Amino acid sequence: MLPSLGAVCLSLFSLFSAIRARSSTGDSVLVLLQPNLSRDNFTIFFDNLEKQGYDLTFRAPKAETPRIIEDDVPGFNHIILFAPDSKNFAQDVTPQSLVTALNAGTNLIVALSPKQTPIFTLASEFSLILPPPGTPLISHFPARDTPPGVIPVSVPPVHPFLTPNTPPIWFSGIPFAHGNNPLLVPILHAPAESFASDTDSDASADVVFDYAERGGEGLWAGSSLGIVTGFQTRDSARITWVGGLELFSDEYANKPLPSGDKSGNAQFARDVAAWTFHEKLVLRIDSTTHHLVNETEPREHYTINENIAFEAHISRYDPESGWAPYSGLHDLQVDFTMLDPHIRTALLPVSDEPGLYRASFRLPDRHGVFKFVLDYRRRGWTSLQSSTTVPVVPPRHDGYPRFLSAAWPYYTGAISTSVGFLLFATLWLAGDDKGVKKGKSAKTE
Amino acid sequence: MGPQILLSVLFCLIAAVHAGQLSLQSPKLTVVGPDGGKLRSEPISLQKRADPVVLGANDILKLTFQVTDQTSDGGVQPHQTFLRFFDSTTGEEGIQPVKVTPSGKAKFELNMAKPPSSLPPSGTAPLRVSLLLGSFVHGPAALDLFDLHVPPSASAPVHPDESFYHPRPEIAHTFRPEPKLPPRFVSAFFAALVLAPWVVLFGLWGAVKPSVPHLFSPSILSFVLSLALIEGLLLWYWVELRLGHILLYGSGAAALALLTGKQALVGIAARRTGSSK
Repeated sequence: MLPSLGAVCLSLFSLFSAIRARSSTGDSVLVLLQPNLSRDNFTIFFDNLEKQGYDLTFRAPKAETPRIIEDDVPGFNHIILFAPDSKNFAQDVTPQSLVTALNAGTNLIVALSPKQTPIFTLASEFSLILPPPGTPLISHFPARDTPPGVIPVSVPPVHPFLTPNTPPIWFSGIPFAHGNNPLLVPILHAPAESFASDTDSDASADVVFDYAERGGEGLWAGSSLGIVTGFQTRDSARITWVGGLELFSDEYANKPLPSGDKSGNAQFARDVAAWTFHEKLVLRIDSTTHHLVNETEPREHYTINENIAFEAHISRYDPESGWAPYSGLHDLQVDFTMLDPHIRTALLPVSDEPGLYRASFRLPDRHGVFKFVLDYRRRGWTSLQSSTTVPVVPPRHDGYPRFLSAAWPYYTGAISTSVGFLLFATLWLAGDDKGVKKGKSAKTE
Repeated sequence: MGPQILLSVLFCLIAAVHAGQLSLQSPKLTVVGPDGGKLRSEPISLQKRADPVVLGANDILKLTFQVTDQTSDGGVQPHQTFLRFFDSTTGEEGIQPVKVTPSGKAKFELNMAKPPSSLPPSGTAPLRVSLLLGSFVHGPAALDLFDLHVPPSASAPVHPDESFYHPRPEIAHTFRPEPKLPPRFVSAFFAALVLAPWVVLFGLWGAVKPSVPHLFSPSILSFVLSLALIEGLLLWYWVELRLGHILLYGSGAAALALLTGKQALVGIAARRTGSSK
């Protein structure tokens, strides 16, 4: 009796915490902090997270517990890896285990530094092209009293998930070039005037020139480079690579900009965590259905050339209120596929019905096993995928039109044959056998 | 007091160091045609944007300038001397470092026959060319030079999955054409043609004038009616019945026709043999 009561309490508790979850995937966060840093260096960032309901667990990179993956199950919903200089980790923190956790749906924020570590090497597996170790990003622009490696970077005013009008942020660290992988989600680009270099005097200008001439990746320079870049796996787990750990620090959050204004680091760090931890741009398909245009219930199978409607209910996650129907997608498409897509058409939101999207079309005149394929991928948004199989059959033997004008001669032919037969049978059976009588009378005569 | 003086001295030192803003002296651009002839040669004004420079597929753009310190006017070698090519329509950007001698003199050549890999893929929009000068000791300078039209190049390689991240072209199914029916009057004409023999039949009927005196004898009437029932069933089948129905009803009607038919034949045989007796 007691254990079952305990289980009920536990499930109630978990239900309660699930309702209060800030992130759509869960609130437990593991923070790996390198030994020379303490939580006090990042109080603004971490306190912000805790205030929003995240449950932070701190661990040194070399500590054995708590483990990232326990019994093949990820122990945390999110991981913050603030150990860019650590070369040695406990046994369970390896690039492989991080990728395994990512595949299992754990979201990661990973900070990098110019030092070459296993994590530094892992970044190249995510289509990021890193500069050689030991070459941080520097910028001589604008003229300011900080070292060239500490750079104010302006935040794009229009961005899918960054707070509009975030003030510029302080950054120091490394840039990375982006591969052309569409899973990458650039969050913040380096300033156009910045470049990666390990030189520290004007006399080494020739070295900078030689970088570009050396071939290979050339010079890491300009605004095409990223300094904070997200990556969303096909299963919608998110990992954000940050070129420098100091971006999250209290020091940079409190450091006034060259203009004297407050820096945007705290807000930017909050936005990056919100996206990475599945608070923003999170969609899901609640249900999909299909039916004939004038009906409401789905059928077992459909006949070629029928007019059919496909419907999907889509919700978006909001960290304040949870899942809510969402009608804001205007570029959804649905494919009607048998090996190749036969039909691809827009799946448009239905007005007055929040979250409902509908597409109707005429089924192709090919029979076979078709699929409704909904595959919605956009940079930064979780992907929506659904596939519904539906057989399309040719008309039954009595499903064809029956009274064709072209067949009138055949109908009349068949009917007059029948009538003729009936008439002949009646005459023959009921008629007067005059011939026989005549013959008989001839005989008798 | 001591530290304060030291601090102010340090501050002055930093200010003095940064007072020397980097600048350009006698910047000049030359466009050389494929045959070596100068197509255009003019000094670049830093105050007013020069006319756009147009390069052909085999032209060479040459830039010469000297980097100077604005206060001392002496030539300096800055840490960063980058030419930035920026396509504002696509956001593509290319950064090309320029070699500067210790006296500040620099020469840059852009040969369109062998464009450097840093030149961004270009479309129809001109590239904005600017010069970025940065130094650890001098103040930085970003100088807008001119617009550059280069021959359009192949676009950047695209990831095979990239198309999934944008609305894809719609696909419509091409249906087979609807089967065509001949005009109705043609069908009606041939239907009438099929009915034409009835005219002949009724004509002959009038000549023969057959009579049916035994029609109302019970055995014959029931058989004729059961035959009519079968024909009626077939007509009904054609209009709306399914195969299962017609087999069920048809077997009943057939059994009835068999019985009544036997009766009718027996009746006829009896009549004929009776009359022959």
